Amino acid sequence: MNLPLNETLPTDPWVMNISTFFNSFAGMYVAQSFCHSVIAAMITDRALKAWNIANPLVRQRFRLIVIFFPIVSFPLYQAINPARSSALFRLESLFDINQWISLEIWGVIPLSLLFLLIFVLTSLVFFFQEMFPVLMHSLESKQVEHEGTHMDADPFIAEASKLLSIKIPDVVLIDDDEPLLFSSTGKDPVIFTSTGLSRALTKEQMQAALAHEIAHIARSRRPLLIAVFLLRIIMFFNPVVLVKFRMAVKDEEKICDDIAVSLTHNPAALAEALKKFLHKKDEVPEQSIRKLSTSNVSLEEHSHNLHLESRIKRLESGSINTREGWGVPFMLTLLAVVVLNYFIV
Amino acid sequence: MNKKITAFFSFALMIGLLIIALKIVNWLPLILQKDTARRYGSIEEVQRALNMKDIYVPSYFPQQIIWPPSAILAQSKPFRAIVMEFTRADKRNIALIISQSEGTALNVENPIEIVVVTEKVRFTIKGRDAVLTVGSCKNDEPCSGITWIESKYTMTVLMKSAPFELTKIVDSMIR
Repeated sequence: MNLPLNETLPTDPWVMNISTFFNSFAGMYVAQSFCHSVIAAMITDRALKAWNIANPLVRQRFRLIVIFFPIVSFPLYQAINPARSSALFRLESLFDINQWISLEIWGVIPLSLLFLLIFVLTSLVFFFQEMFPVLMHSLESKQVEHEGTHMDADPFIAEASKLLSIKIPDVVLIDDDEPLLFSSTGKDPVIFTSTGLSRALTKEQMQAALAHEIAHIARSRRPLLIAVFLLRIIMFFNPVVLVKFRMAVKDEEKICDDIAVSLTHNPAALAEALKKFLHKKDEVPEQSIRKLSTSNVSLEEHSHNLHLESRIKRLESGSINTREGWGVPFMLTLLAVVVLNYFIV
Repeated sequence: MNKKITAFFSFALMIGLLIIALKIVNWLPLILQKDTARRYGSIEEVQRALNMKDIYVPSYFPQQIIWPPSAILAQSKPFRAIVMEFTRADKRNIALIISQSEGTALNVENPIEIVVVTEKVRFTIKGRDAVLTVGSCKNDEPCSGITWIESKYTMTVLMKSAPFELTKIVDSMIR
């Protein structure tokens, strides 16, 4: 039981309102889950470096700690010890976010306002860059039919599908000069590719690219990332979770690269195929680079290229190791995250 | 094997450094802003540090309660609040808590928790409307509490005893 202190005369209603929010259950959940994700991110990043973990599948599992843990940490800790939110516990804790929230810049602007601003901005980024596009995509995918020529069954696709225990996907060739490659999952999976891409790739490169898509179809049978996305909606305000989720999505591409290589035994062919998807800088007119809207696009393209380049470099270096031991490091990391965050209020 | 040991020690070292860094980061606001919640050694220290002149303390104390308070927690931002804990002379456990707050709630772990409420009555004490709660704490110990408004503060006094002594304490707090 907390001491039953009733509201009387707040000193400054503006500060009081924000402070009241951060002292409420919802406010404490927001503030503490943010802190817990920061600590979890620091610990997992260090663990990945310390144990030199390069396998994207394992890296993704470590990132999931940062995404999942803050969702449950605060209610879990409160259930274990309801007095954890008390002022006395806070004073003895390792880190108390309320100490920072109650600070005022030049004695005027409460720092809590800055925290709120970060959470609001992250929420907007989440809504417009993740939620809205996902909703639009799922609506469009129900309406849009991709027209193209159904290609003859390729023995490589049949063999690869058998190895991954999935239904043999149809391959549809779209008449487009741009290099396109994507797949639709579900009961009857389809791989879409373009005439532009099929002209640009050799047979081995095309097989490597198709193997990558088959890997996506196989992985979609256990749609981990969709489950993670649905759960991470709860953390819509959390900038750390936003970043880590995007990293986990990028890991997914590397995981599918590894599966593709295990099917083709030809990482060089996949690396060459990926090079066709690099956006060339000279394709963007110089004048339009100065425009704000285009600079956003070029930033996105730059990020796209960086990610592709890291995948290509990884494939070319031959540093693919899917048999890394990770159980003990993972458990130690999780333990450190759980124990340390208990004292972060 | 050597690699694994090095990795483990590197990870453990990082955890150690993180704990130190967190302690420093947690300590900074206490240095930057003097009026956030913290422990104080005496009531005079609270008055000096937070410029809080009107702290209500009882002039009557039952013999079994030790003066001065064993713990004082106070803040002046975002709202003024002070919580004092007093221990019992014989058992050395917390027997009395006095809380004074002008805000919504200073959330403190409360060692005197009235688990079973047997009676809750409104009454007047020196012209103030007050609420008396009588019941029992954990281990069936008799507990009671009185809440009233004093100037701009909400006052709450909780005691591990029957209401007789508590009423006398509260009566001595009101001027």
